[in-house]
Amino acid sequence: MKARTVLMSVLLFLPDRIGAIAGNVATALVQIWANKARSLLTVLGIIIAVTSIITVVSMVEGFGNYVTSFLRGLGTNMMVVYPEAMRGPRGEFLRQAEMTIEDIQAVDAHATAIRRTSPVIWNSATVEYGRQQLARVSLRGTNEFFQAIRNFYVDAGRFFGAVDVDSGAAVCVLGREVLRKLECDESVVGDYVHLDGQRFQVVGLLESKGSFMGENQDEMIVIPWTTAVKMYPYARKYLAFYVEAVRETEIPEAEGQLVRILRQRHGLRAGDRNDFGIFKQDQVLQEFHKIRVIATSVLAGIVSISLLVGGIGIMNVMLVSVTERTREIGLRKSVGAHRRDILLQFLTEAVVLSTVGGALGIALGYGISYVASLHPSMVPVKVPIWSVALALGFSASVGIFFGLIPAFKAAIIHPIDALRHE
Amino acid sequence: MIADVFAPAAPPVIELIDLRKVYRVGTELVYALRGVSLAIHENEYVAIMGQSGSGKSTLMNILGCLDVLTEGTYRLRGQDVSKLSQTKLARIRGRQIGFVFQSFELLGRTTALKNVELPLTYTRARHRRQRALEALRRVNLLDRAHHHPNQLSGGQKQRVAIARALAQQPALILADEPTGNLDSVTGAEIMTIFDSLYAEGQTIIVVTHEDDIARHCRRIIKLKDGQVLSDTGESRPPPAAGTGAAGQAQEAAAAP
Repeated sequence: MKARTVLMSVLLFLPDRIGAIAGNVATALVQIWANKARSLLTVLGIIIAVTSIITVVSMVEGFGNYVTSFLRGLGTNMMVVYPEAMRGPRGEFLRQAEMTIEDIQAVDAHATAIRRTSPVIWNSATVEYGRQQLARVSLRGTNEFFQAIRNFYVDAGRFFGAVDVDSGAAVCVLGREVLRKLECDESVVGDYVHLDGQRFQVVGLLESKGSFMGENQDEMIVIPWTTAVKMYPYARKYLAFYVEAVRETEIPEAEGQLVRILRQRHGLRAGDRNDFGIFKQDQVLQEFHKIRVIATSVLAGIVSISLLVGGIGIMNVMLVSVTERTREIGLRKSVGAHRRDILLQFLTEAVVLSTVGGALGIALGYGISYVASLHPSMVPVKVPIWSVALALGFSASVGIFFGLIPAFKAAIIHPIDALRHE
Repeated sequence: MIADVFAPAAPPVIELIDLRKVYRVGTELVYALRGVSLAIHENEYVAIMGQSGSGKSTLMNILGCLDVLTEGTYRLRGQDVSKLSQTKLARIRGRQIGFVFQSFELLGRTTALKNVELPLTYTRARHRRQRALEALRRVNLLDRAHHHPNQLSGGQKQRVAIARALAQQPALILADEPTGNLDSVTGAEIMTIFDSLYAEGQTIIVVTHEDDIARHCRRIIKLKDGQVLSDTGESRPPPAAGTGAAGQAQEAAAAP
């Protein structure tokens, strides 16, 4: 019975409260609209802060999604091992470390955590097909395991096999972008192209993977590594190779094993640095994490300074507003406004002002993200909903925090003094 | 004291007993009111007059619960309001007192109707719109309900202000120099409105220094140096029979 009475009184009271707050919001909007230019200048800091939040967060997020999906496409239990450029104590270049097919075979034979390996030679070549010519196309020499290790398959024709690799056959697999630029269709399979003047038979076409960090993965030609070595004999001593661990969880074990084998084969002593490098996916993630931390700290700096500036602006304009409207405050008090009514009115106005600034910032941030995403080499960006909530939360808090002093000042004005105010 | 003698059924609207107000200005004490005692009953029409410095502004502020007194007792409709907190005084201002100011004090960015509704929003009254419209009707300004103050003449603005004072159906209308910013013709119109409200039974106090204005009232209280100099005219406590009969009698007496 008692609970029911309380509930009833709350239900009867609540609409009045909501009405009062809605009234305050309406008053605040009228006030803001009446001083458009002043209000806009006041919330400039907030707009900058929120625009920064939305833009930077959306780009960092878009970039993060992009990196993650790229790595997933790369195959998650893959590493790349490459000979390192040896440098002296002052960073000067000494010599290029060597890596031979024997090294790779030793790793393949003795590292139990490694399922398979694939030598890789990076180069670029000029492609000719009919009258079309295409310079500086990425050329990759590798073996028959490339598809499985790189998670990158042909979807027309076939990939070259072990026989082709062993014999150093003049066969190649083309990426889709090469196909497009040569202005031909899938009928090129079985036909011949010239790579740096040598005749190659096209045996297959790679599936489309899109580009990563400005490098188009589809603008690529894959040939047997043995064939590549014939074309570029110096590459024989500087091979890199892909490594596929037996499982994703075995990557650290695989790394340890190959490091031991290679150090032993290269005659490195205990204190010597590795003369080869290992590229792992978590390295990419770490690099990306660094970028994210930097972007976030820069963002935090911009946001805190501009929120502070915006907050002070709001406080300033609210203090002016309180002074300007002293008579109004006196009148409101004389017709029955309590201190908390006046406090709430001015606090609402500050919050509405800062939230309007926040909304403008969100719109601007969306706009900038959208325009940026139109650029062809830009990653797709998406504004996460939590960043919008964060931005609005920030701007409303700034309104509350910096609106409190002016609102309190308004609330304690004595009605007689207020009505005498000129 | 008058109340004691006549022992009326209802308490007076205003009862002041030995009211004193002392200000401190710097190191100096200013005795603004030095023992004012008076009673104002339901449906009286009172002018408070006096030179500047006579204490009439101070008295008005105290009567309007805008200021607190230093010594003495102030009863509003029998309730002692002498020692109430700011919050409680705000509540009383909202419900019992309708102010009319010399410079109207309308909110410029909103309509006449919203201005009249303002006191009702602070007391969270119901049916605000109807009550505000009714108040505008009583000052004969219904057709201007949706106009903004800058679209109204001075006299119309003051009528909106009177409607705002009426909206809450207050115990008392307290008008501070209500014609001070108006020409004499418009001022006379405003006083006619007060006259008719009085005829409808409203209790009205007008603070003024103009004899022409004070002439509309039934009772004139003159202050000097913080004390009542003279208190002339009708000061009738309502007969025990009730206020209805008194209102009619008053109406008859009010006819020029």
